[in-house]
Amino acid sequence: MRFQDAARDARTIVYAGIQADPLVARLAALAADATYGQRLMARAVMNGESTDPATWRVIFPTVFGPAAPDLERAEALLAASLRVAERGEQVRSQFRGAFVEALAQVLVARRTGDAAVRRERRVLFDGVASEIHPYDLTVETAGREEAWDCKWGARGINADVLNQLDDARRHAVGEERSLRVGLIVFDVRTSCAVRLSQQTAPRQGTAVVTLETLDALAGRKATPG
Amino acid sequence: MIDDLPDDPGSVHPVSAAPGPARAGDLLATALAAFGLLAELGETVEDEWTYVTKLVEVGSARLRAAVPDAGGRVPPESAAAIDALAAEAGRITDPHRAIDWLSTFPAVAELALGGGGVIAPARPPAGGA
Repeated sequence: MRFQDAARDARTIVYAGIQADPLVARLAALAADATYGQRLMARAVMNGESTDPATWRVIFPTVFGPAAPDLERAEALLAASLRVAERGEQVRSQFRGAFVEALAQVLVARRTGDAAVRRERRVLFDGVASEIHPYDLTVETAGREEAWDCKWGARGINADVLNQLDDARRHAVGEERSLRVGLIVFDVRTSCAVRLSQQTAPRQGTAVVTLETLDALAGRKATPG
Repeated sequence: MIDDLPDDPGSVHPVSAAPGPARAGDLLATALAAFGLLAELGETVEDEWTYVTKLVEVGSARLRAAVPDAGGRVPPESAAAIDALAAEAGRITDPHRAIDWLSTFPAVAELALGGGGVIAPARPPAGGA
């Protein structure tokens, strides 16, 4: 088992520009230490129609009320999320995807160290044709390798991604290696469970991290609120 | 589709500052009506009909569970939150975005009503430095 940079085509070059946008890093940094309520707010805002911050402060009284924890972070996350919501549909979608990847990178790196985490990498096995799509995130520490795919919503869970992750895990076993595989979904657990229940692709060996459990990526318990 | 909807599912309340404690059952009706609008929109995506139908079933149950006592009173800020959330859902016109909202709406409503929050991870990653 070995890792390799993915070939860059026109789409990935355009998307790389989105990934490098400072707004993506700003969102990821804010969300990495956010509470569950703050993250849920960010998801709603980035998927919403209203761009008036006052509307969102009303919708989330436990995030913006007088007793809310870390109000400064909540306001900053709201402002950054609104900057995504103000974009056109296609760009908004790209920003949301890049945000989930960046957030996952920040959290995983807290557990593994920055140097171990890579983006857009393929995992190669002897005698096996390489996958079409690279993994969004890999951990390449010897003996503790991981491959993750990131999704904005539960709807992104499909047979292709489940099969690819499971294939990689099984191929690693075939080489007497271990590869932890999983999905990181910036969506609620119940929706992921619904989506998974409708898939016939193998998923028993695939971890699924949801909006409620993101902090587990960093090896810590979730932040209430 | 979901049941327990008012006669006119389009009568989603506008954003307003609630003057006082509201009846929980009324808020549930408002939330379910807005959720029903999202469901109707999401169901127009034929390829996702099964997923949408199940999401609506699970989401409706989650909304009802968030209001165990329909006759109880909830704080004004919760009432205002549900009204504003319903109004926001009513602004959604794209069926694909509606599906995303079907996923998010019950959790947001649950939080506004004082529930929700963090649950234990199902399968935390193993190992690590």
